[in-house]
Amino acid sequence: MTAAPADITLATCPFCSLLCDDLSLSTRPDQSFSIVRNGCRRAEKLFRRRPVAPQPLIAGQPVNLETAVARAARILRRARHPLIAGLATDVEGARASVNLAERCGGALDHVNGDALMSMSRLLQTRGWYSTTLSEVRNRADLVLLIDVDFQARHENFIRRCLTPDARPEAASGTTRTIVHLGARSAKRFLPTGTHVLPCHPSRLTEALLALNARLRGHPLKTRDCGLKPADLERLVELVRAARYTALVFAPGSLGAEREPLSSAVCDLVESLNREARAALLSLGGDEGGMSAVSACAWLTGFPLRVQMGRTISFEPQRINAAKLIATGQADAVLWVDAFGNQPSPPVGIPPDATVILGAAHPSDIEQCGVYIPVGTPGLDHPGRLVRTDSVVTLALTGQRDTGLSSVAGVLTRILDRL
Amino acid sequence: MLLRLRGGRIYDPENGVNGEIRDLYVRNGRIVKAPSDPREANETIDLKGRVVMAGAIDLHTHIGGGKVNIARMMLPEDHERDLTPSGRHPHIGCGHAAPSTRTAGYRYAEMGYVACFEPAMLAANARQAHLEMADTPMVDKGAYVLLGNDDFFLRNLAAGRSPETIRDYVAWTLTAAQALAIKVVNPGGINAFKFNQRKLDLDEANAAYGVTPRQILLSLADAVRALGLAHPLHIHGCNLGVPGNLDTTLDTIRGLEGLRAHLTHVQFHSYGTEGDYKFSSGAAEIAEAVNKNPNISLDVGQIMFGRTVTESGDSMRQFAGSAFADPKKWVGMDIECDAGCGVVPFRYRNRNFVNALQWAIGLELFLLCDDPWRIFLTTDHPNGAPFTSYPHLIRLLMDRSFRNDMLATIHPDAAAHSRLASIDREYSLYEIAIMTRAAPARSLGLKGFGSLAPGARAHITVYIDHDDRERMFATPEYVFKDGQIIVQDGRVVAEVQGATHVVHPDYDRRIEQELDDYFERYMTLRKDSLRVSDDEIRDEGRGELVLHPTTARP
Repeated sequence: MTAAPADITLATCPFCSLLCDDLSLSTRPDQSFSIVRNGCRRAEKLFRRRPVAPQPLIAGQPVNLETAVARAARILRRARHPLIAGLATDVEGARASVNLAERCGGALDHVNGDALMSMSRLLQTRGWYSTTLSEVRNRADLVLLIDVDFQARHENFIRRCLTPDARPEAASGTTRTIVHLGARSAKRFLPTGTHVLPCHPSRLTEALLALNARLRGHPLKTRDCGLKPADLERLVELVRAARYTALVFAPGSLGAEREPLSSAVCDLVESLNREARAALLSLGGDEGGMSAVSACAWLTGFPLRVQMGRTISFEPQRINAAKLIATGQADAVLWVDAFGNQPSPPVGIPPDATVILGAAHPSDIEQCGVYIPVGTPGLDHPGRLVRTDSVVTLALTGQRDTGLSSVAGVLTRILDRL
Repeated sequence: MLLRLRGGRIYDPENGVNGEIRDLYVRNGRIVKAPSDPREANETIDLKGRVVMAGAIDLHTHIGGGKVNIARMMLPEDHERDLTPSGRHPHIGCGHAAPSTRTAGYRYAEMGYVACFEPAMLAANARQAHLEMADTPMVDKGAYVLLGNDDFFLRNLAAGRSPETIRDYVAWTLTAAQALAIKVVNPGGINAFKFNQRKLDLDEANAAYGVTPRQILLSLADAVRALGLAHPLHIHGCNLGVPGNLDTTLDTIRGLEGLRAHLTHVQFHSYGTEGDYKFSSGAAEIAEAVNKNPNISLDVGQIMFGRTVTESGDSMRQFAGSAFADPKKWVGMDIECDAGCGVVPFRYRNRNFVNALQWAIGLELFLLCDDPWRIFLTTDHPNGAPFTSYPHLIRLLMDRSFRNDMLATIHPDAAAHSRLASIDREYSLYEIAIMTRAAPARSLGLKGFGSLAPGARAHITVYIDHDDRERMFATPEYVFKDGQIIVQDGRVVAEVQGATHVVHPDYDRRIEQELDDYFERYMTLRKDSLRVSDDEIRDEGRGELVLHPTTARP
């Protein structure tokens, strides 16, 4: 579906894993968009970008698509250890990436591979009890936000899940309490009435472990857990009173705290589910991350970071795009960025062994062997993306006619030449 | 091009053919009448001494969707024991309990299967389920969409809305999710668990909505009847795995008041509380009830000893079972005001009394239910065991002395608590052909499947008649799909895509307006975002949508 200029069209936003499907867009003369309704700061900025010129380049010089595809295929064919990474694309692009990796014996990683792998590791070592966006919106009477920074991302989570106009009668009699645990500075981006319990980000895990210990009736030897003692007691009271607690966190922004903190969230959910109900929601999988993990899992059995060869080898420690490139373990890279947010791969691969499929020009165009412009799913062509809760997959429609190919379209052409 | 399959022994129960030596003729993907002169055939394959059946159909196997993918991601150690190397199949992948989509398709075909049905697709997750099924080659597929725990249904049932409104909603859900049938899992119980109820009996009210599982079952079974769906309501009942659930299951059969219903993985719902272990077989009572109630069909959900993973929409019961996770990890989920799920790895052990008795109970059900047209061969893949164990299961059913040898290896108290040793019955090839071909095709309304009569789709499996039935059923000599050889000597020789089977029953479009409003008020996506289009299934010619007619009944 292509919108006539100046028309207002309904669109689904591809730029974060909330995949808000209720945006109203108006097209501007330069083929960028203004969001008329239901946008967020991030979406407004990204929809304002003009489409990239559909001109493939080799070493900065214009070539036709056929030549670019042929060169890309040659680079992959000659490589002994090709890496297919970035993977910022839709389900179709992820499927094509897996097929390409199988054909050329490549390794697969995502631009947010570290955060995605930390969740996979948690799943593979202990598991969790999780929930989804509509459940949080309708069921949760207590939402515990664990240092979620809505200024940077997922801003519409507030509108769509925390402060809906209506809640069903089955949840009536309950009022919703929202608690934010983390940096005090987050306060101005939170709904009014949120209880903000200040805690330094480096001490969040401690705070959650202390809360869990209190819930399980274990005495604390110290009152110093990163939270003020009064705040901890307040939190204990709130979760004990709650019927359904949703614990919300964003693994991508947690840095070194990610694994212990995620694990502490799982432990807390487990404790709460003994007497009442609780579940976690991780906000993540942006840049097509959830789509890449899901499609790779059903096609290979493993959630990314696989080496395709005679068999499939799952190597979550070794296959890290930045490390493979830095250590010379990869000798060619095909980098995929259909959202235009990470236009270049980590440095270290010679230009003549670099292929970039991007919705934005790489920072140093001369340093890129082959650059093939691609469209963004949901703007330039249709595509399907998996939402942060990994339950809902949305079908996005194209909103403008730019002639840009999809990642899947280009990868299939490369594959045909291998 | 006329292909002659000469001199095979044909088992085609749909047409009453029981082991007759006959020729089959295939043209343009269909079985055709014998020409007046056999020399008209362009090609002949000699099947002397071979056993010939229609392609097999699995009507309950978890092959695609969110919980299946969680199981895949959770179990790298399981995959690593069963990686398929390049050259073995058209694509590499992994097998065993939570196989990659392609490997699942290849292995089903290698066992002579031509169609597989995912029994627990959530409307909220339908697009992903279809994407996974689209990446499951070789077999036709379809899915049953879950209802009965979604808040929209429950609030409307509680509000006393008319059967017509419920029916419209059911029809809309089938259409939007591109499903073939309706499944209900722990009716109302998944929803109740979200409100912290830890169990829900057949006549116990869901605390939030005040409706009982019995009301839910009757409402949905009646909607399925009124919409004229071929497949009856597919029921995963209350109290799965709970000792004493035998009574729940018997009450469920009675409570259906003669409405057609399919009870799934009944092995997990046939437990008594007798004996020293307070855990006993209820198979005889269940079989008696099934034998007396022709409105009821079932599949068994046989367990096999070894590692697997249990994947279920029944978050309430999976939560209870999570204590037995092996290895110690599991996932539960509350899903989108729609349903839930639980994924719990498990190891069935033959020296464990409960597991051993579960194994015996499943076999008792197979052997005590008289009518093979109403009982289907499943392990509830992968909940009882991976589907690759079907040949072993067939041998257990067909070979009494083998069965008794196996019985001698299980926990002795379980063997003593089972009547299995006293059952002489051995399934015939004809009965196996009924329960794996003709009966599931009929139950699902798959025209042209499960039959070798002229006009039928040329889905044909050719077996070598080994005395060892496990060996025989594990590696067919030929598998034809739409007349094309896709498997030869147990190996995939041609990759085909397979179609998706759906129904789109008529409904009063006013329900859509109501749903638009409901989604707008309560949900985090628009109603239309949920809908999977025909074009998505067709995928520019890569996929095929087969729309089955339905006939509404007053």
